[in-house]
Amino acid sequence: MDMKVKQKKLNKKEKYTVQTRDLGWEPTYQSKDKIFPYVEYEGIKIHDWDKWEDPFRLSMDSYWKYQAEKERKYYAILDSFAQTNGHLNLTSARYLSAIKIFQQAITPGEYAAHKGFARAGREFPGAGTQVACQMQSIDEIRHAQTQVHGVSNYNKYYNGFHDFTQQRDRIWYTSLARSFFDDATSAGPFEFMIAIGFSFEYVLTNLLFVPFMSGAAYNGDIASVTFGFSAQSDEARHMTLGLECIKFMLEQDPDNLPIVQGWIDKWFWRGIRLLSLVGSMMDYMLPKKVMSWKEAWQIYGVENGGALFNDLARYGIRPPKGWEDADKAMDHVSHQLMLGLHQWNFGTSFHTDVPTEEEMDWLSAKYPDTFDKYYRPRWNFMKEQAEKGKPFKNMGLPKLCQVCQSPGLYTEPDDPTMLCHRETVFENEKYQFCSDHCMDIFNNEPEKYVQAYLPMNQLFQAPLYGDLNAWMDWVSLRDGVDNGDYELSEDKKNFDKWRNDVKSNSVD
Amino acid sequence: MSYELTIEPTGQVIEVEDGQTILDAALRAGVYLPHACGHGLCATCKVQVVDGEVDHGEASSFALMDFEREEDQCLTCCATLESDITIEADIEEDPDSENLVVQDFSGVISRMEDLTPTIKGIWIKLDDVNPMHFQAGQYVNVNFSNGIGSRAFSIASAPLHANEIELNIRIVPGGQATTYVHEKMRVGDELTFSGPYGRFFVKKSAQVPVVFMAGGSGLSSPRSMILDLLNEGFELPITLIYGQRSQEELYYHDEFLALAKQYSNFHYVPTLSDEPEVSSWQGEKGYVHEAAKRHFNNDFRDHKAYLCGPPLMIDASITALMQGRLFERDIYMEKFISAADAQQVRSPLFKSI
Repeated sequence: MDMKVKQKKLNKKEKYTVQTRDLGWEPTYQSKDKIFPYVEYEGIKIHDWDKWEDPFRLSMDSYWKYQAEKERKYYAILDSFAQTNGHLNLTSARYLSAIKIFQQAITPGEYAAHKGFARAGREFPGAGTQVACQMQSIDEIRHAQTQVHGVSNYNKYYNGFHDFTQQRDRIWYTSLARSFFDDATSAGPFEFMIAIGFSFEYVLTNLLFVPFMSGAAYNGDIASVTFGFSAQSDEARHMTLGLECIKFMLEQDPDNLPIVQGWIDKWFWRGIRLLSLVGSMMDYMLPKKVMSWKEAWQIYGVENGGALFNDLARYGIRPPKGWEDADKAMDHVSHQLMLGLHQWNFGTSFHTDVPTEEEMDWLSAKYPDTFDKYYRPRWNFMKEQAEKGKPFKNMGLPKLCQVCQSPGLYTEPDDPTMLCHRETVFENEKYQFCSDHCMDIFNNEPEKYVQAYLPMNQLFQAPLYGDLNAWMDWVSLRDGVDNGDYELSEDKKNFDKWRNDVKSNSVD
Repeated sequence: MSYELTIEPTGQVIEVEDGQTILDAALRAGVYLPHACGHGLCATCKVQVVDGEVDHGEASSFALMDFEREEDQCLTCCATLESDITIEADIEEDPDSENLVVQDFSGVISRMEDLTPTIKGIWIKLDDVNPMHFQAGQYVNVNFSNGIGSRAFSIASAPLHANEIELNIRIVPGGQATTYVHEKMRVGDELTFSGPYGRFFVKKSAQVPVVFMAGGSGLSSPRSMILDLLNEGFELPITLIYGQRSQEELYYHDEFLALAKQYSNFHYVPTLSDEPEVSSWQGEKGYVHEAAKRHFNNDFRDHKAYLCGPPLMIDASITALMQGRLFERDIYMEKFISAADAQQVRSPLFKSI
């Protein structure tokens, strides 16, 4: 008897293959080399693109459905936040300094990542890689947009938010992030994947997002918390893509190992330098603190990163070269950078303050070996000077690191009383660095980094010629409004008044 | 009260305690399900519920969307069971799995033999009407009386002899069950057990040369697999790298020497890690992974490797294989994930090793 054979059900992987395989057609009237011209020049050898496992099998159809619902939920919460004056539920408007930095430094980074993945998706052969990069590209622009929209509620009431796109290029502290993304997006497609997909999305993302989102939750910033939830459901996909890419490179050819190791060394160091900003934010800018930067590093860096490098060791990968120095620096970086931001706070589009006694006690408990010894005396000095009416402002310009673009304010790994400066000469020009690791990155590709755009140096060039007021206009800073101490700011005055209005009936 | 969880497409059935998440139950039963954040935010662990009811627990509304809840999807890291359920997870169907159903068996101890000072071989004669069909490499859960409970042991004999199975049991200091086997168990005793369990079997369909790396009391599954392959007429190279500390612990050495003589495609590489300086031993010295590296000249490409032995041996062997360019997709081992392992901080780089 003839019977209908029950069709075997496809599993998810087979379904995905069926849905995407037509994207990987064999070209006929152009050669593959011409279609994918950038896939070989970095030296990465790939023998079999079919060994690329699609780490996150999501079809475009369900991707759209998924993201559309996220957007609906996010904007509903944002609307209710706006309608109920959610900004008045913040612990203090001082918290917004953290959000201002995030918007000026990190949001443009999301946009840069969007461009980078769009390009990577075009440059990689292999349908699975192309689809994954395309989705991540759309995710990243969505993140940039939702962040801007979330922050726009604050922009209606508070200063310093008004020109983040210009400031991304022109103001000095944002160049930590901008130079990171400039470097990544001008690298080849494989290095880009290590920089963003691996270093940023895996090794560093928890260090960035968890403190930022928890900080938002602790300080009443529902808009940013909601953004965090909406983004985190994408991050798992991004992380998986980065890890898949590194495994793929290491398994395809043994010659790839030294190249990948070099990139891991480089991008770990660039990432951890960039995250110093997050360190200062956590330790100093959150009125209600979550955990110290050092504690965050212990959990998300040492524990999780350590587990990853244990696994990667099987491929012959060792932990990044800068790991030990980064670990030593955890007792110092957030304090050193914050002291810098505070003494140059006439040039920041956010407010800073000398920490209160209570905060200094918290810092001393979190940093028992270093805070009282090295940093409390400096803050006390700043405080005394301010009380005498002579607040300490540093009108000098520090040397900027040619690679990470941070001001040269960090100390030697083994001597916290000695500034760390490195210098090298390339084609008769002198270049400055904040550390051995940044200098190594330069020496490996000097032709790339001599082109770095260092915004602070523009102060001395035409058309500014060293005029600080002209510089303020150029970076869209309104002196006495966007910059300076929080205690003296319009933000504080307004926030205190509006908060008081909520619970009183005064008619002034 | 507990419920039954069926995991498609592999068809494995596991028990889930009240309040226990699907993910926790699966991992503890040795079934890998994709996951990452572990608390309902990242959506890596999303699966389709085909039948039955779950409670979504703490699943974030951004990770498990409304339309997905309506389509009966759930996050295994948060979902608990409200009834017996069947899920369809993103795991691959294994063409080499016979998907044998677990059953209860009873038998009689037909033979016992001291294989080494610490390992006893026991043979269990099964009821002729109800022999046990199993895949070489699988294990059984033997029931012990006096409140000892059940213990898992890999089957050391080949599936060819379905009505008598052999177990090799090392005495664990202080271990109730293994002490019972070594000191009290006698030929003629009756025994009940359930099985076959486990997904550790040879991927015959791949048709590539195979390497077995075994040490300590981990010889059972590899021995069963090798006997099975040779019996079936598998023609590609089969290599066994087999490590013990000393000659007196090297059980079944003579059998493997004889097999290597009989079958030209079977290569036997025994190695001793702690043999005295003065000894009659002429073979390899050192650990399993070291002997393997030498034997294969550090190039394991185009093989499949099966590992069985103490955790340190497994760990060193994985590293040796990967440095010799054999990767996760070609490395297999029996995974017994303890509660402690589930708590350990692991990176998501590898899934099955």
